[in-house]
Amino acid sequence: MVILREGICPGATAQLIQALKEQNVKTVVNLVSADIEDLAQKCSISYKTLVAVRRVLLAQYSPFPSNGADLYEELLGSTAILSTGSQSLDKLLDSGLYTGELTEFVGAPGSGKTQVCLSLAVNIACELKQKVLYIDSRGGLSSSRLLQLIQSQVDSMEEQSEALQRIEVVRVFEVHCLLDVLQDLRASSARQATGAHSSVKAVVVDSATAVLSPVLGGHQVEGISLMMQLARELKTLARELGIAVIPTRISVEFDITSCGTLGSRTAPSQPSTGDRGNT
Amino acid sequence: MQRDLGSFPLPPALRAKLIACGFQSAEDVTSMRATELSKEVGISNEEALEVLQIVRRKSSGEESQLSVGLPSFRKCTALELLEEEHAQGSIITFSSALDEILGGGVSVAKITEICGAPGVGKTQLSIQLVVDAQIPECFGGLGGESVYIDTEGSFIVDRVAEVAQAAVRHCHLIAESGRDEAQQEAVKEFSISSILSRIYYFRCHDYVELLAQAHLLGDFLAEHRKVRIVVIDSIAFPFRHHLEDLSLRTRLLNGLAQQLIAMANEHRVAVVLTNQMTTRFGEAQSSLMPALGESWGHTPTTRLILRWEGKLRFASLYKSPTHKEATVPYQITSLGFRDVQSSEPPSTSPANPRKRPRTDDQDGR
Repeated sequence: MVILREGICPGATAQLIQALKEQNVKTVVNLVSADIEDLAQKCSISYKTLVAVRRVLLAQYSPFPSNGADLYEELLGSTAILSTGSQSLDKLLDSGLYTGELTEFVGAPGSGKTQVCLSLAVNIACELKQKVLYIDSRGGLSSSRLLQLIQSQVDSMEEQSEALQRIEVVRVFEVHCLLDVLQDLRASSARQATGAHSSVKAVVVDSATAVLSPVLGGHQVEGISLMMQLARELKTLARELGIAVIPTRISVEFDITSCGTLGSRTAPSQPSTGDRGNT
Repeated sequence: MQRDLGSFPLPPALRAKLIACGFQSAEDVTSMRATELSKEVGISNEEALEVLQIVRRKSSGEESQLSVGLPSFRKCTALELLEEEHAQGSIITFSSALDEILGGGVSVAKITEICGAPGVGKTQLSIQLVVDAQIPECFGGLGGESVYIDTEGSFIVDRVAEVAQAAVRHCHLIAESGRDEAQQEAVKEFSISSILSRIYYFRCHDYVELLAQAHLLGDFLAEHRKVRIVVIDSIAFPFRHHLEDLSLRTRLLNGLAQQLIAMANEHRVAVVLTNQMTTRFGEAQSSLMPALGESWGHTPTTRLILRWEGKLRFASLYKSPTHKEATVPYQITSLGFRDVQSSEPPSTSPANPRKRPRTDDQDGR
């Protein structure tokens, strides 16, 4: 829903916009779906001008369809598969992490999600020699542990420090901060579009639930919208920049018969977002 | 960059009005002036200004300090982080076995949780830690101040004085035998009264007070830059009583935890929380587990479980991202939290496994 403004396209003068506003046509969608003849009469603007403006706006704002073959070719060319460093995990993931996709790790406390994230980051930095952005929202990242993991893969001090430099760490503890970080990443990648070798290849978010759980549930309605915003940001990031995005999520025990949906965190009206049994 | 209005921290009523008038992305808003915006949407001039400020600041692409109270994020490479971590110390517990499994002690800028059954030594360990955080740097400590938030009322000042005295004596012994000038200087200022004067004590009676205190703690830590440890003893107590709505409890706890870790990170303090134990009923048997539920289990960075095994006390590292799980024995003496000496018999007498032994002479006082 883009608002009609002066200069939005050639032919959209201030006069035209004002006249349309008086007829309650404020957005592009309104203009495109309105009856042009009728509108031309009411606004006393020429029919030809309105049709021309509408055509330009349609060309500017509508998405273009592409066929399956083109899409396939594009994916073949742009998708890379990043190995996780563990053969059994690679086998499970169909040879590794796919760029352009989100791979989520879910687990109970202490099951090893942070360790998997650290090993992933280390593998991508050491073996594949690519940059990784590690977003830490729980404080579980310790550089000495990263060094320990790197030391098991690489021997020379120089290579170790190089690998450490390829891992960028950001600490955010709040959902709006996280959205800022993701936006910033998109903006900076757009700016250095030519420097493909120096851009980030994978983004690890450990963990997404930490920032979302305070806002979900109860009478708060924005929690869901923030969650969807985050999901959309992550997905767009993955698709646009061709990177692998790895969020982690915690799992909470729930009774599937009482819930009706998979994932207690996506059903705010169910009281089972709490824990059962333990007080 | 088109950024959706939903991702900005705007007041919900304002956002609803903006969206209803057709404003979807940041661009739509920033292209208008405040007066135009207020007329279009039907909000007051001040509200329009506020909206513009928030949106412009966030979409300017630069890091902004104190934007609506949220800290800006800081990117650094893991190498820089490694150097920072090496420079940071940890708070020792005076039990060398426990320090070893923790990797030097309780780490700064992380949340450590101590769980245990009643009487096993959680408050004792917390008291030991608030004293140890003040040990001067030349003795291997952090030379900082401490904050103790008490929700149970188990902070007994006499006991703190005892533990402080033992720590002071320990440092004096090292300084005398070492002949290091810096140590001898430092030990002159390290006395029981100085230790007690640097422990900031807060008493919270229910969860509302605790949440309020956590909010105010940020400003307090910004003023008192030397604080190196914040102990909350215990975090379970206010949340297990008078709070029927479990989903509210989860939300509040998670919000509190995020605030604490943000503070720990920003002000470089170690946050130590004490938790209680609860029984979980399984199919055939029941087991003892830390309270506050499974979702709380994800929150602390490191978890220590203290438990009894017969007459002896053991501490196990239950969860840690940097060290592997291990269990060590410990004991509580009149001097505080200490290792078990293999030559001496355990301090708790066979007929009397209590937290404070009834007969004083067996402690060697």
